[in-house]
Amino acid sequence: MYDVVIVGSGASGGAVAYTLCKAGFKVALLEKGGLMKREEFSKDELAYCRRDFVTPNLFDEYHTIEEKVEGEWVATPSYESGWSFWNGNIVGGSSNFMSGMLHRMHPDDFRLKSKYGEIKGANIVDWPIGYEEMEPYYALAEELVGISGHFETHPYAPWRSTPDFSQAPTKENAVVKLLDKSCKTLGITPLVTSRAVLSASKAGRDACYYSNFCGSYGCSSGAKGSSREALIVPALATGNLTLLSNTHVKKLHADSTEAVSYAVVVDTITGEEKHIKAKLFVLAAQAHETARLLLNSANEYHPDGLANGSGQLGKNLLFSGGGSGQGELYKEGLMEISFEELMTTGLFVNRSVLDWYFIDDPKEGRFKGGSVEFMFEHQNIISRASKDNKDEGKLVWGTVLGERIVKRFREQKSIRFEIFNDWLPTDDCFVALDPVHQDKYGMPVGKLRLNGHPQDIKVGEYIAKHCEKILQQMGAQNIYASISSAPAQNLVAGGCRFGHDPKTSVLNKECRAHDVKNLYVADASFMPTGGSVPYTWTIYANALRVADAIVRHLKST
Amino acid sequence: MLRKDFIKKTGTMKRRSFLIFGSALGLFTYFKLKKSDDFEVAFKKVKPTIEAVQEHMFPQNSKLPSADSKQVSLFLFETMSHSSFDKDIRAFVLEGASELEKRHDNHFTSLTAKEKEIALRAYEETSYGSAWLSQMMTLTLEALFSDPIYGINKNEKYWNEVGAYGGLPRPKQRYIGTRDV
Repeated sequence: MYDVVIVGSGASGGAVAYTLCKAGFKVALLEKGGLMKREEFSKDELAYCRRDFVTPNLFDEYHTIEEKVEGEWVATPSYESGWSFWNGNIVGGSSNFMSGMLHRMHPDDFRLKSKYGEIKGANIVDWPIGYEEMEPYYALAEELVGISGHFETHPYAPWRSTPDFSQAPTKENAVVKLLDKSCKTLGITPLVTSRAVLSASKAGRDACYYSNFCGSYGCSSGAKGSSREALIVPALATGNLTLLSNTHVKKLHADSTEAVSYAVVVDTITGEEKHIKAKLFVLAAQAHETARLLLNSANEYHPDGLANGSGQLGKNLLFSGGGSGQGELYKEGLMEISFEELMTTGLFVNRSVLDWYFIDDPKEGRFKGGSVEFMFEHQNIISRASKDNKDEGKLVWGTVLGERIVKRFREQKSIRFEIFNDWLPTDDCFVALDPVHQDKYGMPVGKLRLNGHPQDIKVGEYIAKHCEKILQQMGAQNIYASISSAPAQNLVAGGCRFGHDPKTSVLNKECRAHDVKNLYVADASFMPTGGSVPYTWTIYANALRVADAIVRHLKST
Repeated sequence: MLRKDFIKKTGTMKRRSFLIFGSALGLFTYFKLKKSDDFEVAFKKVKPTIEAVQEHMFPQNSKLPSADSKQVSLFLFETMSHSSFDKDIRAFVLEGASELEKRHDNHFTSLTAKEKEIALRAYEETSYGSAWLSQMMTLTLEALFSDPIYGINKNEKYWNEVGAYGGLPRPKQRYIGTRDV
């Protein structure tokens, strides 16, 4: 029997495994996908970005997606639509493939209801902990994961217990000269992006080599702070970790009302089913899959699903509000920098804007806003070659197409912004079990009802207008922005919100199930509201916080 | 066309129904193929049509280097044969080529360039034909601009032409396996 079984090896699973193994506990880390080592990754666009190379085939494993069509909720299997909600199912999870633009949540994100009040149709609550309880773990994650950056004072930048990042920022393309100047002309403050990418080698991981293909790809130097590189590799070195890849967990078994006794797992290669016992279980999957697993673990002791005494399991699923926009910089009219500098490959744009994190606008009012990241258009070659082949809705082909493709690559570079704002929790965004569809292991698939709150769009559009002005100031052409209520499937949280009251929350403040004494949830599903930054730093930090609670729990029993 | 792009393009989550039942001629026999051998036989039947369309879309006198359409169609066959490829799109590629031929009494490949242009533009007027032509363009661009290891972008000739280069490390093996033809 293990001391602890962890389900999922992404950001949260790796953080819990690291802490527990360092503390001397015997841990089994279960991952449904396979193990890919650093040396096995490549920049193969076809495999990683255009095929289901690191995610399940949707005809084998899928979700049903419920959207409102003409007033009725209609569920469509994702093999029908092709809209996959899987994100990097290998050891280390989707942290292998992140772009790594990470931010801490703001202290007011922990008390959104107190600070900004109710919003009609949104289930906003304050968190049961404050930023001051999370801050030491943000700092710990910064060191362990290896987050590079440079702290600059800003009214909306969260306070830190350490003066600055120990890793200097990653190298920057000269376009930041133009971007910085344009922002300053408009009275906007650009900040250096904190990034989970090493600028200097550290503990067996080599510094970034600026491959030009970072997000969506595994890192071949170990610079990217994936769970695998930063946490699982050192956890394995303790000798206390058993890594079980290709191990899919069907359900957890509780033979009393109080405790889980074993996980029912399937070897995804052989199909063999077995039970894995432990004193304590930690769920660390994607948020929607954690809720599904707990719902699928219903039995006579837990008829509505494990840890679902509140009836809140799967409710208040979160994504990220916002959207993106883009503009093209051409040689002609380019200011501040040379075209050759602009076209230099590999270096990061490395700029974030927090000026609209909180908005107090004379016309629009006072409301919570969001954060913005600037970057170049993804440098994938096939996708860039595919972007300019339409004229008034008709395909362009022949010699004209060849000219367009060459021009697009040689004569311009597209700069882009991405907006992250709160996806407000509502009654119409949740995960439940689909009553009809089952995966290849015979378990009901997750049915995701997706509906964004109108406020999410309002905020995104407000910020997008300001970002478009920055691109205009930079001299960009063909500027556009797209703010959508369709969620980004790689930014998912909620479904097991934590809180003080067992009647209204799934987990307590230490992310232990209110109902089940030896069950913790360490992934993003604990979040009752999501903040306005990408989730990953908060996932790492909270999992390290939960792991400390688990250590105290194990030592006391 | 990636599946999510399909949703964006057509505005429907019912991609599968569209691919299967969108054919004006009521085909959809290829959606019933079970074995990989069946796919190989079926692909050979439509291969000349696919090659003719590719040659028309990416002609010899373009700014892009010319591609050997036989090599491109081999790439298509290999990538579509792999288990990671969406089986609906695989069948749709075959079905759409059959429909194009049927619209021209199985003489599409022998049309002149001008006639092909008229034929393809007419096919594009149908939502099914438009989706199929988009799919053909996507697959062909994948062939041309993939890593040289996939066989078309020899000596990085397509990357050189546009001045873009794949990152390092390059793949040491093809995810679809080695070529044994």
